[in-house]
Amino acid sequence: MSTPRVINGTVIDDTFAEAFPMKATRLVITAHTPTWAHHAANTLAGFATSVIGCGCEAGIERDCLPDETPDGRPGVSVLLFAVSTKELTKQLERRVGQCVLTCPTTAVYAGIDAATSAAPLSDDAGIGSRLRFFGDGWQISKMIDGKRYWRVPVMDGEFVCADTVPTVKAVGGGNLLLLGEHIDATLAATEAAVAAMRALPNVILPFPGGIVRSGSKVGSKYAGATASTNDAFCPTLIGLSAKSELTADVGCVLEIVIDGLTEADVGAAMTAGMAAATALGRSAGVVRISAGNYGGKLGPYHFPLHRLSEGIEGSRLP
Amino acid sequence: MSTITLRVKTAPAFEVDASSLTPAGLAAMPRATLERLALRAGNDTVPMGELFDVSLSESDKNAGDEPPTLVIEGDSRWLVRLGAGMECGMLRVIGSAGDYAGAQMRGGTLAIEGDAGHFAACEMRGGRLNIAGDCGDFAAAARAGEMEGMTGGTLAIGGNAGERLADRMRRGLVTVAGNTGAFAASRLVAGTICVAGQVGEHYGYGMRRGTLVLAHAPATLPATFVAGGRGFDVFWALLVRSLAKEAVPFPRLAPDRLPLRYAGDLAVDGRGEILIAT
Repeated sequence: MSTPRVINGTVIDDTFAEAFPMKATRLVITAHTPTWAHHAANTLAGFATSVIGCGCEAGIERDCLPDETPDGRPGVSVLLFAVSTKELTKQLERRVGQCVLTCPTTAVYAGIDAATSAAPLSDDAGIGSRLRFFGDGWQISKMIDGKRYWRVPVMDGEFVCADTVPTVKAVGGGNLLLLGEHIDATLAATEAAVAAMRALPNVILPFPGGIVRSGSKVGSKYAGATASTNDAFCPTLIGLSAKSELTADVGCVLEIVIDGLTEADVGAAMTAGMAAATALGRSAGVVRISAGNYGGKLGPYHFPLHRLSEGIEGSRLP
Repeated sequence: MSTITLRVKTAPAFEVDASSLTPAGLAAMPRATLERLALRAGNDTVPMGELFDVSLSESDKNAGDEPPTLVIEGDSRWLVRLGAGMECGMLRVIGSAGDYAGAQMRGGTLAIEGDAGHFAACEMRGGRLNIAGDCGDFAAAARAGEMEGMTGGTLAIGGNAGERLADRMRRGLVTVAGNTGAFAASRLVAGTICVAGQVGEHYGYGMRRGTLVLAHAPATLPATFVAGGRGFDVFWALLVRSLAKEAVPFPRLAPDRLPLRYAGDLAVDGRGEILIAT
């Protein structure tokens, strides 16, 4: 580490977050009421915190007003990220089939417009083309405005589902590490950062409440474990781990992982998160902000904290 | 982009095949070449210059912004296969067109400001065909011996349609602002047909799948269709919203006012639907 930046008393480490290419798509789930759209979206995005163990990372992007959805009903947009289109297609079939098809009054549409997408397009992923078989021959295919939908008879009427959805080449694994004096200060700062980041489009924070406490490093002392605890940021290992990056005034570290449709989206979210956390500042117990990387050798996307925090009010070099 | 205008000199007494008169096909040709272009007429050919006054005009807009445009002025009922196989651009007919207008069309827009003959948009694959007036029989249908009629695109008829509208149609949208002749949507495989006026007898005959939307209740319902079926609110909302840009009365259909639904044709184990707006 070289010269740190200080914002409102909080130190911004001279380091960077390292992120990876992923395949992503956006689904728009509509329902009779916002409540049922949320039930479906929450279920679909459940157990989708990390591609390591869940197959995909997913989260609610935002609520959609009726005039924003294809069928004029309230909805929720959800972003899903996976390591390949093949895996994403598998997860979509499984999650939409079990979590949305089953949820009363819902319908599912593609949320990425291929004509206007800022993210590079990848292959299409089938949803309705796979789930239609649930219709047992009673399903109906309809082309409306050049898009194919499937109408699958279910007990509350019909489940309407887009035949396929476009996928894009996206960015996963952007992150911030917030280092605080104690759990209250760190949680408050991280929650403020999460709220600011979730206000932005095209990004999700896939972990519970947008926050992860079990940051990991690659590898382990145990054979077969691909990842293990990030001992450099565990406060109980200060003085024990040779890799520890914590000082004695740090009592808690929380991480925010960010997946976005483009590199710019992830960068914007990280800037918003740092701005919100540093607005509370050192006086609120926010000691440092850092980020996780693998030396820059694994992921092609690098997000330097100093560059991203340049415009934040109160920013200065000591 | 240049606009080519063909003004009819004198209508010949025989039919002329106009399938080579596509906006993209003619766009790069100089006037002299256009006038020498041979059009098929039965076993003979006729130079275009004998049939039309040819004029070219340049648009102020950048060539990349505007699609190639071809305008045919004058009554053109003797021109058959106008816009047949057309893939892009704008073909505007100020007058009426002959048979097979827009047959097997794949893209672009064909706008006929008068009537069209039989087999308009037959086996159409894509694009949009607007007919301001009436059209003949077998619009959006299949030619004799062919298995599939229209399989994509939009046919908008401002007046009345003849018999066998959308026979064997498989995909796409047909709207009729007026009435239809007998056997509308017969042997329909799939796709959507919307009729604002009255449908002739035997509509939906042999319908396998697809949707026939009637803006007005018909005098009689086919005996081989069964009443009922609810819970298709979402599909209806999607369909109604997609019809917002079509001719009146279709934009007036209310997404929250579910039509009456009749399913069939049960005589052929069909799962099509007739939706009657209420």
